[in-house]
Amino acid sequence: MKTFLLGAAVFVGAFILLARESTTIPVSAATLPKVVLHAESIAPRAIEQRTGEMVTHDYAQAWQDFATCVDANRTDLLNELFTGEAKTRLTHLIADQRKAGLRTHYEDHGHEVKAVFYSLDGGEMQLEDTAQLEMQVFDGQKMIYSATSPRKYLVLMTPGPDRWYVRALESVGDDAF
Amino acid sequence: MRIPITFCALLAAALSAFAQDDVLHAPKTVTAGSSFVVSTSGQGSATFYLLGPSHVAKRTIQLGQTITIPASDLATSGTYQAVACSSSCSTAVIQALPAAPARVSFLLHPSRVPVSRGNAINATAFVFDRYRNTVLNPAKVDFHITLPDGPTMTRMGQTNRGVTWFEMGSTPKQGRLQILASIADVSEPRVIQQVASDACRLHMNAAPAGRYVKLETDPIRDCAGNPLPDGTIVSFTKIDNAGRSTVDTPIKKDKASAQFQLSGNARISVACGVALGNELSVGGRQ
Repeated sequence: MKTFLLGAAVFVGAFILLARESTTIPVSAATLPKVVLHAESIAPRAIEQRTGEMVTHDYAQAWQDFATCVDANRTDLLNELFTGEAKTRLTHLIADQRKAGLRTHYEDHGHEVKAVFYSLDGGEMQLEDTAQLEMQVFDGQKMIYSATSPRKYLVLMTPGPDRWYVRALESVGDDAF
Repeated sequence: MRIPITFCALLAAALSAFAQDDVLHAPKTVTAGSSFVVSTSGQGSATFYLLGPSHVAKRTIQLGQTITIPASDLATSGTYQAVACSSSCSTAVIQALPAAPARVSFLLHPSRVPVSRGNAINATAFVFDRYRNTVLNPAKVDFHITLPDGPTMTRMGQTNRGVTWFEMGSTPKQGRLQILASIADVSEPRVIQQVASDACRLHMNAAPAGRYVKLETDPIRDCAGNPLPDGTIVSFTKIDNAGRSTVDTPIKKDKASAQFQLSGNARISVACGVALGNELSVGGRQ
């Protein structure tokens, strides 16, 4: 499915990694939300360019998977890029939504992501995400809630054999960062 | 499609904002894992929704009464929306803040490290509340370090966005190095095995015996005096009239030994990893 999307769909997403040296590296992928990664102040180790590109891509893909799952109340896509507490929580959320007859629709207008922590052994990366989201919650056909304000997320990503997983995706208050 | 969605979103947001003050009254912030009360105004029945980051709940309420949100509905920190819908929907936004530090997730790397290596060990600790929410307020983490030869020392770290880290060098003595990360009344121990480093002052002795020569090293240790573990491979190489011959043999009880058949005068060398030992010239029968 992912291969199909990457290969066949129109290229509308653009990812930009603002690396430690403030260079800009555009990376394109298909139909994914826009993610801009800033890595100037990451510590204690610098982020490699290829790593930054992978994190950017996988985080965007994770958001697309997440939006699809909560809109259709399906959990299968959560296996692709979510793990640990993030996967547990989202699975729980979708089960609750299904039980209550709710669904959530996101219009994703992009993410300004700041990489703030990258462990010395390369095993964990913490991100601060300011997301521009339109969120609509439906009970059956009735929209019961809608919001367009920016949302902030504290994210923990960990590497797997061929991708970066979202291990924690926590919404935080406006003044958190 | 974008225009209608955006329009609907703005319209609903405006309606929600208008209705929020009238129907729902909730605290702006609460602590994760604590119950709270939402008061309502109006008359008649409505459907109440609590929309959270990992949990949603739905029930019928009577407007004008208070709604108690149980602690179990608010375990995850983050942004919640309380929504009451009758003919229209009203919303109140609640921010659930992480509770007090109660868990520490401690990562120590690597699991084995040679002695006397600068900044070879790194430690990372994540601090969570009892519901696995990252504690955003700075929290102090104590790292109690127990060295292989007994003494202990403590390093203090302060979290930033729930994480703190440090790095340190391995100590000269091989053995078990334990680090205990502590916060509040919880501790997480991790152990690193410090192992001998490269061989140092590698030396062998030869004992000719007719057409053969028996070779044995002195006890093999690193520069800090730690014995290299049994099984470490030592290579003996002989060059004589028969050509070049190498024997790889494991250390047993601190020493390695080998035996060569000689063909004329031979030069024999010994090596272990990156360490080269002495070289011997041994005379043999033609």
